[in-house]
Amino acid sequence: MASGNNSRAVAPTLVLDFFRRILPFSELSAATLADLAKQCVIAHYPKGSIILRQDLTEVTHLHIIQKGGVKEYIASDDTMVSLKDFSGEGGSFGALPIFSGKRADFNVEAVEDTFCFLIKKEAFLEVVRNNPRFGKYYLEAFSEDTVGAVYSELREATVRSRGEDAFYLFNLRVRDVINTLPETVSGRETVQQVGLRMAHLRVDWLLVKDETGSVVGTVADRDLRTKVVAEGLDYDTPVVEIMTPSFRTIPAQATCFDALLRMMREQVDHLVVEHRKAIVGVISAHDIIVYQGAAFLYPIRDIESQRRISGLYAVSQRLPMVVRTLLTEGARANNVTKVITLFNDNLLSRLLRLLTDEIGPAPVSFCWLNLGSEGRKEQTFKTDQDNALVYEDPQNGIDPYDVEEYFRTFADKAVEHLQACGYPRCKQKFMASNPRWRQSYSVWKGYFEEWLLHPIPPEVGLARIFFDLRPCHGNAALGESLREYITVHARGNDRFLRYLAGDCLLASPPLSFMGDFIVEKDGKKSEGLDLKVRGLSPFVNFARVMALRYGISETETLARLKGLTEDGHLSQALYADAREAYEFQVQLTLVHQLKMLEAGLDPDCFIRPVVLSDLERKTLKETFAVIDRLLEQVQETFGLSSNALS
Amino acid sequence: MKRLWKWLRPDKHPAIERNRRRFAEFDRDRPIENCEFVSLDTELTGFNHRKEEIVSIGAVRIRDLQIVIGDNFFSYVRPTKSIPKDSTLVHRITTSQIKTAPPLQEVLPEFVDFCGDALLVGHYIALDMAFVNKACRNILGARMENPCFDSMRLAYAYQEVQRRSYYDAIETRMSYNLTELSKRYRLPLFAKHDALEDALQAAYLFLFLVKRLQAAGCVTLRDLDTVGSGSPF
Repeated sequence: MASGNNSRAVAPTLVLDFFRRILPFSELSAATLADLAKQCVIAHYPKGSIILRQDLTEVTHLHIIQKGGVKEYIASDDTMVSLKDFSGEGGSFGALPIFSGKRADFNVEAVEDTFCFLIKKEAFLEVVRNNPRFGKYYLEAFSEDTVGAVYSELREATVRSRGEDAFYLFNLRVRDVINTLPETVSGRETVQQVGLRMAHLRVDWLLVKDETGSVVGTVADRDLRTKVVAEGLDYDTPVVEIMTPSFRTIPAQATCFDALLRMMREQVDHLVVEHRKAIVGVISAHDIIVYQGAAFLYPIRDIESQRRISGLYAVSQRLPMVVRTLLTEGARANNVTKVITLFNDNLLSRLLRLLTDEIGPAPVSFCWLNLGSEGRKEQTFKTDQDNALVYEDPQNGIDPYDVEEYFRTFADKAVEHLQACGYPRCKQKFMASNPRWRQSYSVWKGYFEEWLLHPIPPEVGLARIFFDLRPCHGNAALGESLREYITVHARGNDRFLRYLAGDCLLASPPLSFMGDFIVEKDGKKSEGLDLKVRGLSPFVNFARVMALRYGISETETLARLKGLTEDGHLSQALYADAREAYEFQVQLTLVHQLKMLEAGLDPDCFIRPVVLSDLERKTLKETFAVIDRLLEQVQETFGLSSNALS
Repeated sequence: MKRLWKWLRPDKHPAIERNRRRFAEFDRDRPIENCEFVSLDTELTGFNHRKEEIVSIGAVRIRDLQIVIGDNFFSYVRPTKSIPKDSTLVHRITTSQIKTAPPLQEVLPEFVDFCGDALLVGHYIALDMAFVNKACRNILGARMENPCFDSMRLAYAYQEVQRRSYYDAIETRMSYNLTELSKRYRLPLFAKHDALEDALQAAYLFLFLVKRLQAAGCVTLRDLDTVGSGSPF
C-alpha cells in the first residue's frame, strides 16, 4: 500500500549499473534504463529448480541473469533431452516466447544458485516498440547492428590509443576519388606533341584514341623514356607505335581498397575507371594514397624493389604492422586476408625470381604450388609453410637426373629463405623441399588418381590440403591443369567424397559459453577453444567437400560457398549466415594473433572466453549454431548417419 | 524517573495507530510466498549503546518472494547530538550529509507507513528493532507491531537442516555475520555499512534461506517462525 507515494525511494543503482554493462540494455537511453530498473524485481532460483517449463509456463517476464547460470533444453516424449543453450551472468531467457506470445519454448533450469532480474513482459515489449534495434538483438542472429557492434568492438580491442578518425578506404568508391575525365591524345600525334601535351597538362600519363575515338592504349612518361629516348627513336614517330596497347580497368563502384590491391597485383600505377562500359576517369595509387593516407600498404610495393633475397627478410617483418593498421581502420576479415595473401604471394614470387637469378634458369618449366590456407588465400598470420612443386615431364634428351638436382637445390633454398622470412617449416613436411611433394606432372597426376580411387582414411585426411592447391609462381598452366583434373575427377567419386565428408563430421562445435567456460554439447566445460580446429576448419571442410562434390573449382572458402549458392546447392539464408559466421571467426583469430605477435609470442588460435566480451561470446555462439547447420547439410548430402557426429 | 518518562510519552501518532490496527488480528497460517516482507537495516552513530542514535535507515520490499528493488526506502537521519568521528569512518557518512538530513521525527512516520502490513526481515533484526522501537515509543507513542524474522536465525535453522540431511560435520566455528554468510552461500555481495545495501544483502540472504527452508517443509509463517526461533545448537 505504501509503495506508490514514497518520497524516500532511491534509484536502484544495483540494477542500473548492471544494465549499463550488458547488451542490448547498454544501448538504451538513461531515462529508459532508469524506468526499467525501477520496475525490475529480483528472483532467486536454487540450483536444480525449473524456472520455465516447455509448453506449460506462460512467460510473463524477461529474465536476466545477475548471478549463476541456467541451461535451456527440450525434453521430448521419450525423455530424450536435447540441450539447447547455457546462459550465465548477463545472459537472458524468455524473450522469444514473449515476442511470439506462446508458452515457454524450452525448459529452463538453474544449474547454479541463480539470481535473476525480471522485467515485466509489457514493459519489455514497450521498450522493444520504442527501440527497434533493441528488439533485433533478441530476434536476429547476425543482425546488422550486432555484427557492426562486434566488429567495432574487435577494432577497439586491437588498438585503444587511436580515436575514431575516419578512414574510408573500405567504404569509399573509386568514383568518389576521380574528379577529372582522362586526358586523351590521338594515336596519330607525334611523340613530341604528346610530350608537350603532358608537360602542359602536368600529367605523366595519357589515353590514346584511334580515329573512331575509342581508347586503344595508354602512353606514359616511362614509354617516352624507355622507348623513344633510350632507343634513339625519331620524335616524329606516331604515338600509337610506342604506346602500351593495353590498360587495366576498374569499375567506378569498386572500393578504393580493391583498386589499390589491383594495382599492386598487376604492378601498375594507374587504372582506367569504367562505368557502364564507358571510360569515366583514371585513378592512380598516388590519388588514393594522398586521399586516404594509405601509406601503410607501401611494404607491399617495397617487396618488388628488393634486389637481394636477404632484403626480403626485413620487409617480411612489416606484415604485422600492415595488418594492425588494416584492423584498426576497420577492415573486415576478407579484406585483411586478401592483403596478407597479396603480401605473401608477392614476397614468394620476388624471392623465387631472385633465386632463379642466383642459381640459373630451370631446365624445364615448373609451377610453385601453395596448399592449405595459403592455397585458399586465407592466411592469417605466418602459418606454417604448405607448398609443393610440380614440373614439366623432362623430354627431348633432357636428363631427368639434372632436372631433379636443379629442383632439389631450388626447393631447398626456397624453403630455407621462406623460413628466414618468418614462415616456419611445416611439421608434417608438406613442403617442396620434401622429394615426395616435388615431382613431375605425371607423378602428381598419379598421386591424385590414387587418392581419388583408393581413399584410405588417414591418407585422405592428410591429402586434404592438396585439394586446395593454388599455382603461385612459374608456369601456372601446370598447376591449373592439376586443379582441373581434381575438379573433373572428384565430382562423381562418391566413395572419396564420403570419406572426406565423414572427416568433416569429426569435429562438432561446442554448445555455448557459461561464465568463463566453454560448454560442450554433453555439458562438459573447458577453459579454452582452438578456433582453428573447432571453428574455422568445419567451414573450410564443408566448403571443400561440397565444392568437390558439385564441380566448383574455386579454392577460397567464401568463393566456394558463393559458387555453391549460385548453383543452388546451398540456400541463400545459410550462405549469408555462414559467410558472416566464418568472417567473424577469421576476424577474431586475426585480432587474437596480432595481440600475441605484438606481445612477442608465437601466434596460435587458442581463445579463452575470459578475454571475450558478451557480444563476442553471443556472436561466437551463433557461429557454432551455423556450423551445426552446415554439418547437417553434409549428412544429408552424403547420406551419412548422425552417429558419425558423436 | 522512568515512570515520569511514561507520563511524558506523546500521544499515539496516526502512523503508529494504523500500524497497531493492521496487526490486531494476524494470521500466522498464511503460506510464506503470499506474504509481503520488508528487509531493513539501520546504521547507528557509534558503539556506545546508551547514547547511540539512528543515522540512516534503508529498506526494500519483498513481494511474492521477489525483491521489488524500486520499492525501497532510504534516508539519512539528523541526530540530536553531533556524531563522533570514528563512526563516520565506518558508515562513510559525511557530516554534511547528516547536517542536511531530516530529523527522525520526520523520517520515522514515513518509515512506519512504508513498512505497512509487511513482515520485517533483517540480519540480527532485534538490534535494529530495539532502536527503531525506542524511537517509535518516544516520538510516535508506541512500538511497531510488525512481526520480525531474523535472517541470522533462519541461517541457523538452514544449517541445522543441512546437518540433519547430510550428516555433515558440525561447523561450530562458522561465522553468522551477514557478509560471511553471503560469501558462504555465494550471493551477490553489496557494500557494507550502507543501510540500503545491507538491507538488500539481507533480502538476498532471506530469499536464499526461505527457498531452502520451504523445500525442507516450511510452508506457513508459523513454520518459519518456529524454525527461526531456534538458536545454534
